[in-house]
Amino acid sequence: MEELFSKLADCIEFGKIDEVSPYPPNFKGQTGADEITAQVLAKGASAQDVLNNALIPGMEKVGVKFREGTIFVPQVLMSAKAMKTAMVHLKPLLKQGNVKQKGTFVIGTVEGDLHDIGKNLVAMMVEGNGYEVIDMGTDVSVDAFVQQIEKTPDCVVGLSALLTTTMVNMEKIVKNVKEKFPHQKVCIGGAPVNNEFCDKIGADNYSADPQGVVDFLNTLAS
Amino acid sequence: MKGFELIKKAMRLQEVERIPWVPFVGSHAGELLGLTATEYLQSTDKIVEGVNKAIELYNPDGIPVAFDLQIEAEALGCQLAWAKDNPPAVISHPLTEGIAIDDLKVPCACKGRISMVLEATRRLREQHPDLALYGLITGPFTLALHLLGTDIFMQMMMEPDKVHKLMRFTTNVAKMMASKYIESGADIIAVVDPMTSQIDPLSFETFVTPCVTEIFDMVREAEALSSFFVCGNAKQNIEVMCQTKPDNISIDENIPLDYVRDVALRHNVSFGGNIKLTVVLLMGDEEASRRDALECMDIGGKKGFILAPGCDLAMATPKENLMAVAELVHDELLQGELRASEANVGNIELMDLSNHWDNNRVVIDIITLDSSSCAPCQYMVNAVSRAADDFGDKVVYQEHRIKEVEGVRMMATLGVQNLPTIVIDGNIDFVSQIPPIQDIKDRIAACLAAKQQ
Ligand code: B12
Repeated sequence: MEELFSKLADCIEFGKIDEVSPYPPNFKGQTGADEITAQVLAKGASAQDVLNNALIPGMEKVGVKFREGTIFVPQVLMSAKAMKTAMVHLKPLLKQGNVKQKGTFVIGTVEGDLHDIGKNLVAMMVEGNGYEVIDMGTDVSVDAFVQQIEKTPDCVVGLSALLTTTMVNMEKIVKNVKEKFPHQKVCIGGAPVNNEFCDKIGADNYSADPQGVVDFLNTLAS
Repeated sequence: MKGFELIKKAMRLQEVERIPWVPFVGSHAGELLGLTATEYLQSTDKIVEGVNKAIELYNPDGIPVAFDLQIEAEALGCQLAWAKDNPPAVISHPLTEGIAIDDLKVPCACKGRISMVLEATRRLREQHPDLALYGLITGPFTLALHLLGTDIFMQMMMEPDKVHKLMRFTTNVAKMMASKYIESGADIIAVVDPMTSQIDPLSFETFVTPCVTEIFDMVREAEALSSFFVCGNAKQNIEVMCQTKPDNISIDENIPLDYVRDVALRHNVSFGGNIKLTVVLLMGDEEASRRDALECMDIGGKKGFILAPGCDLAMATPKENLMAVAELVHDELLQGELRASEANVGNIELMDLSNHWDNNRVVIDIITLDSSSCAPCQYMVNAVSRAADDFGDKVVYQEHRIKEVEGVRMMATLGVQNLPTIVIDGNIDFVSQIPPIQDIKDRIAACLAAKQQ
């Protein structure tokens, strides 16, 4: 079993989706995340074990390599796709209720902003690290965030902005959310945003990359 | 020398007497006219008027005709969302909406806003024969993203042939745009491909290198110059970008300029950048803008460097900040003063001048940039020399060039802030302007009289 877990972790790390997937070239002809996940479950592994011993460690490596600039967006997306494929097998089992997710993360790109590559990567990495993620998409208004928080009061909120002109909307959302839900944790990110801005608008955390949010969520969860 | 001639010299890696300056004014020119981006980017007249305004305010050597990476996409059927304070954004991707790549045709230059920017180029060419006009075209990878959306990233891995085919098409579009811009009078074709910042060097070489190399070859054949713009952190790709043989690469503040300089010069490619767009030009003040520009100039140097903001200027960039940079570029004295005050800030060690002064003689210190290259400095040193003649060995004078560390230390120790300056027995007596020789003589005489009492 150990060996299969480590093979599965490799599939996540290197983005091997299934046997027919041509990527990465040096995994050609080998089984991928899809087959191996089915295999370990058939051998009796629990969904939680697969998550903790294969998928999360694989995704963690992806996070670190992306932060260090040794892999880029296409590679991360391949890993995320491999992860998603594995999750298709796990989701029904996880839903049966005997497994606890670490928490809920609500993420969206702020009003006026359509950039979603970075936000999607954050969402995937957070999900890959054992959280339930609610992705609200792009151009998300204050009201939409407020309504979502009412539905999932324990969630941590993540805001993404890529334009200097939409940073003000980020500020507006943080202010509104904090007014209505003073204890709600809000974290922010996106290229023009930084720690100083985070302090200024009263958000709880800024991270430059997905690994940073994961670390932040993990400290909150522990 | 100025304008296109100066830029050409820089792009040919010849030593220049002054660093050329190219503000990447796009929708910002709309702001200068009090217009929204939507109004500005849809009118030939406004673009011509806006660029003229920017030329008047910023005294540039070169300038883009327009900075809008959605023009080709729009002509190919992508829907745009227009905004007040930003260029428009592509919001639909035809290739994910039932259109096949084989259905797409290279658009006619008469179509959509293509004809508008070409007409603007022709008019600006006529009005400014010596200025370097940059024709900006959407890079093939960014145009491919417009057509296919972010699916392109996975398709690169899963179905590379499809991506190659798409890139073939977007390269044809880019070549059409480049040749039309050149025909209309553009001197430099800038291939702007910000999406390439998101991929690794191997993917770049596989998908992008053949395409942009072909575009740059074509531009060379047409006897125009080329530049490769990336916005964002493309540090990993600088090397492979240089290998595509553009005449110049231009980068933003996400990449250290010294790194780019070293890689580019190693490949005999000129380089440009990277005044900080947001924290300095948009949000900072004139002082911060000058300092950041100076830092870029000092790193870039006079061989192969073009001073520019990193990418399209944010629309609301205060014009004062860009005017401050423009002034600095054209004023070598100001550069020297700023450099020296910078050193001040950096806690430079002051000198002990107790042995510098003399009980019997008048000591004159002239702080200059360097009298051999700065005319006012030279006149000032000459004036002192002639004034001192009459006093024989009762006067000693010395030039301190702030191009040398000693000079900077002397300047700081004497409390001098402007260049050139004459300090007589420790008093800052003549600043910037060259005084009449008689005035200097009078000061010397007064100082001597004081010593003899
Ligand atoms: C891709 C892109 C686009 C694509 C977007 C496609 C898409 N589906 O997202 C398209 C072409 C549509 C586009 C449109 C526009 N863009 Co654009 N775009 C870019 C580009 C090239 C890359 C952005 C990106 O995806 N980066 C990759 C991801 C992985 O990085 P990231 O987003 O920063 O996210 C990371 C971190 O910031 C962090 N993070 C992100 N979100 C969050 C959230 C949380 C909670 C946390 C903790 C962390 C976090 O983690 C991510 C992973 O590491 C940049 C320039 C550049 N090279 O950076 C310009 C750029 C962002 N765009 C810009 C502009 C101006 C525009 C347009 C207005 C006009 C235009 N077309 O140029 C429109 C605006 C549309 C709109 N209303 O939103 C400017 C913004 C300038 C500014 N500072 O205001 C940039 C910087 C380019 C430039 N210099 O001109 N763009």
